[in-house]
Amino acid sequence: MRYQATAPSLLPEASAAPAELPTGTLKQQLRRAERRNRVKAFLLVLPLLLFVGITFVGPLAEMLHRSVYNPLVADSLPHTIEALDDWDRRQLPGEAAYRALAEELASLHQNRQLAKLASRLNAEQSGMRSLMTKSGRRLARLDPPIDAKAALLKIDRRWAELKYWAAINNLGSRYTLSNYLAALDMRYDAQGDIVAQPENRQIYQSLFAKTLGMSLLITLLCLLLGYPLAHLLATLPERRSNLLMILVLLPFWTSLLVRTSAWIVLLQTEGVINDLLVGLGLIDQRVQMVHNMAGTLIAMTHILLPFMVLPLYSVMKSISPSYMRAARSLGARPGYAFVRVYMPQTLPGVGAGALLTFILSIGFYITPALVGGQSGQMISNFIAYHMQTSLNWGLASALGGLLLAAVLLLYYLYNRLVGINNLKVG
Amino acid sequence: MSLPVYCTPAERIGHACYRLFCYSVLFFLIMPILIIIPLSFNAEPYFSFTEGMLNLDASAFSLRWYQDMFTNPQWLQALKNSMIIAVASTLLATTLGTLAALGLARSEMPFRNAVMALLISPMIVPVIIAAAGMYFFYTSLGLAQTFTGVILAHAVLGTPFVVITVTATLTGFDHSLTRAAANLGASPARAFFQVTMPLIRPGVISGGLFSFGTSFDEVVVVLFISSAEQRTVPRQMWSGIREQISPTILAVATLLILFSVLLLVTLELLRRRNVRMRGIRE
Amino acid sequence: MSKAEPAPGRQLTSYVSFQNVQKTYDGDNLVVKNFNLDIAPGEFVTMLGPSGSGKTTCLMMLAGFETATHGEIYVDGTPVNHLAPHKRDIGMVFQNYALFPHMTIAENLAFPLKVRKLSNAEIEQRVKRALEMIELPQLAGRRPGQLSGGQQQRVALARALVFEPKLVLMDEPLGALDKQLREQMQYEIKHLHERLGVTVLYVTHDQTEALTMSDRIAVFNEGVVQQLATPTELYEQPANAFVAQFIGENNKLPGQVSRLDGSRCQVRVGNALVEALPVNVAAAGEQTTLSIRPERVQLNPVEGQCDNCFDARVLEMIYHGDHLRTRVQLMDQDQFIIKVPNAAQRLAIAEGDRVRVGWHSRDCRALDAMSA
Repeated sequence: MRYQATAPSLLPEASAAPAELPTGTLKQQLRRAERRNRVKAFLLVLPLLLFVGITFVGPLAEMLHRSVYNPLVADSLPHTIEALDDWDRRQLPGEAAYRALAEELASLHQNRQLAKLASRLNAEQSGMRSLMTKSGRRLARLDPPIDAKAALLKIDRRWAELKYWAAINNLGSRYTLSNYLAALDMRYDAQGDIVAQPENRQIYQSLFAKTLGMSLLITLLCLLLGYPLAHLLATLPERRSNLLMILVLLPFWTSLLVRTSAWIVLLQTEGVINDLLVGLGLIDQRVQMVHNMAGTLIAMTHILLPFMVLPLYSVMKSISPSYMRAARSLGARPGYAFVRVYMPQTLPGVGAGALLTFILSIGFYITPALVGGQSGQMISNFIAYHMQTSLNWGLASALGGLLLAAVLLLYYLYNRLVGINNLKVG
Repeated sequence: MSLPVYCTPAERIGHACYRLFCYSVLFFLIMPILIIIPLSFNAEPYFSFTEGMLNLDASAFSLRWYQDMFTNPQWLQALKNSMIIAVASTLLATTLGTLAALGLARSEMPFRNAVMALLISPMIVPVIIAAAGMYFFYTSLGLAQTFTGVILAHAVLGTPFVVITVTATLTGFDHSLTRAAANLGASPARAFFQVTMPLIRPGVISGGLFSFGTSFDEVVVVLFISSAEQRTVPRQMWSGIREQISPTILAVATLLILFSVLLLVTLELLRRRNVRMRGIRE
Repeated sequence: MSKAEPAPGRQLTSYVSFQNVQKTYDGDNLVVKNFNLDIAPGEFVTMLGPSGSGKTTCLMMLAGFETATHGEIYVDGTPVNHLAPHKRDIGMVFQNYALFPHMTIAENLAFPLKVRKLSNAEIEQRVKRALEMIELPQLAGRRPGQLSGGQQQRVALARALVFEPKLVLMDEPLGALDKQLREQMQYEIKHLHERLGVTVLYVTHDQTEALTMSDRIAVFNEGVVQQLATPTELYEQPANAFVAQFIGENNKLPGQVSRLDGSRCQVRVGNALVEALPVNVAAAGEQTTLSIRPERVQLNPVEGQCDNCFDARVLEMIYHGDHLRTRVQLMDQDQFIIKVPNAAQRLAIAEGDRVRVGWHSRDCRALDAMSA
């Protein structure tokens, strides 16, 4: 078979003619096929997206909504709020406002709805609780007074002070930033301007600072302890390092509560470490090591250490020993070679481990709650406190919103620097 | 990694310090867990070693805290609840997570990074925030204080692990295998169940184990959205540690450690099986 | 499906037929441009070309893993464009073998048979036969990961053949093997092909492999078949400069056609005039590339034996065992290679010597002017 005879179209002359490019409809077909494939892939992910949307993103959205949504005062005192609409905040409100407040206080007291309102207002302005409940109780006993202002002032002189009226007015709108202001130790003053809280009521700024500081310290401790350990694990022969790896993985897999209670057992005044130190004669006085900040630091470092070691290990494992050998053969001393050649290559692992550890520690709740005592409390613990004890859900939500923003920012950084695809577990 | 003969004495000392430091860190990691185990056999209601225990006096050891746990209806109920919740949420998380990972592994997947970031977020967002939000949201849906609510919450906290492990398995997946199956005459469904599924199964199972472990250890969401009826083991431990701390906690803790060891061993076996099946030589 | 009536222009005897096939991934660039190929039943055809030349795409279209954007592919007279891969009954050996790692060797071999719902006894027997064919019966229970590369290769081959397809595709199946094993497997595949009589379409970028095994070779470049011919023809009579350079070693002399009369032409290279065989030139004045195989050049030829004879200077001599590779300077070119056989009466030449080199005009082909 000669090629000229059997396949004339295959000759170069034939192919040298400009090949016909696909027409416009073909492009559309290609695009349609591409879109079909995209839809197929997306349909597989869709169930989980919906699930996460409903069971996880929904709750977060609801919390964020609650952090700015504040219907209690507007719903409880609608007429009062209306009467305060054109109040200038410089002098006492007019008679209409006093009358509306008196009527609404009386009816709230009778419907037993006053306590909740009073407590919410008290969070904004101390003294409001007693003022509201006292006024409501007295007013309910009186006939509707002719002169509401006089009646209220007779019940309590504080109704002649601007700040109590300002508190009602500040919380009067349904959407407000007052929760976020409170979470940042700020508030609206009587004139409706944003001012700092009085010093004795400032707790959250320093709490945020403390949370960040502790997280930073824990991350640093984890890095300090984890870096040499990861290096050892990555350079030991396979069998040995696998064996030692168990010592890292077992704590990683052990229940958080178990590890936390282990530290309580170890660190408490009557605990093992104190027993040991006293037994060895190193101390006479037993040391309080738990239910304070030290306890939180120790236990959290222990709990988060594997999150540092594992990414470091996987990066170090992938660094070929030939780099160090090359550096040595080029005349570098071991220390110099380590710092200039090895360490720069471990930076991705350091970044991944440190960011992960930091993200996890700023939102940590269980361990500080159990071993933190007073001084070891972090922002999460205050969220729980406002959720469960003080029932100031708005403030809890605002604190949660701020923490969420911080975590999402760090998560974004992690995604940019490390890449979400490099997140590994176990 | 023994040191070469040409090392200077300073290098030797430095190396010894480094080794000592590393082994101390390992000791720090494992010691709290190991110390719990003997203490759980303490005959006295103390959290420290008694004279008798140190002398290995048999009478200083007892199983009374284990007995206490297994005869306490509260613990038994908690164990049952934990099992129900963990199994149900794991099944849910594994199914949804595996499906999603299969989609994410396709090259055509649109907005891959953003979707992945969203699906992983339950692992990143502090659980206290999620729990607070769930308290509001699930209450308004009537899911608070129900098993369904806790199961859904635990499932969503477990899905990131499944997505991560299965996606990781799929990135190493050789797509010519499914082509080969089709070429040899297998329909797409058959190719999936006989070729793809067996190969990603280790990833699916380890994701499931992570998800199970997460649910079995989760206490914050339970604190917020469950009632006494859905009391789980960690919830019971939580009140134990906070309120009337008794050595029974240590007995439970020991059993939980045993449970983690089992999980760890299973995962390691899975990993080895995976390595063997893929013919990666060590 | 019943046999479709033969498409116009299609040879009745062909088993596989590509007709005007085009492929594009983005709608703009054609990866395969107007591909035509007819393969006779039982033929061994190789698609040879550098990576990215479109040969694997053609194979994948035949297997059904890619869809042709234009044109039609026939297998045994039936158009297959709309047939799912698993319904095509085409055996395929993948580049990295694609043996299922979670199945034993026997299970891998049984897979296509189970899918086709053969009886267990039949399956067992066929698997046994297949294992004997590749001389690895002792490995039935092993997993692919436990086998050496060569063993895996044989299993992949057996798996592609075990369900007795009439057509087998091979996508660089020997790429992962070392040189010695690769040569051995080339012969094994060739013998297997001869014994079983299946039609084989083979893809490779290794010219030796293609020359050793194939009945016919299609040389690909940039989505176009440059030449389709038997190995001998391809080597002896390359149709263009690309083929000449891609297959075997080749001396290139760029020049201009000064005279063209029927079966002879004269080409000006620098100051010299070279007699050549016109292959790809149409008229005098055209640019051309002369192609001369190094083994067809004679050193100090007997007067009158060659119709081209020029002065040259020896630049370098490298000992290659059976021959001496001699680089000479010729017509301002310093990369002109001559293969001097290492015969008993070795020529007494040394580096720096002035020599005469000559060749026959029929061994000097005037091809297209190639920029490369």
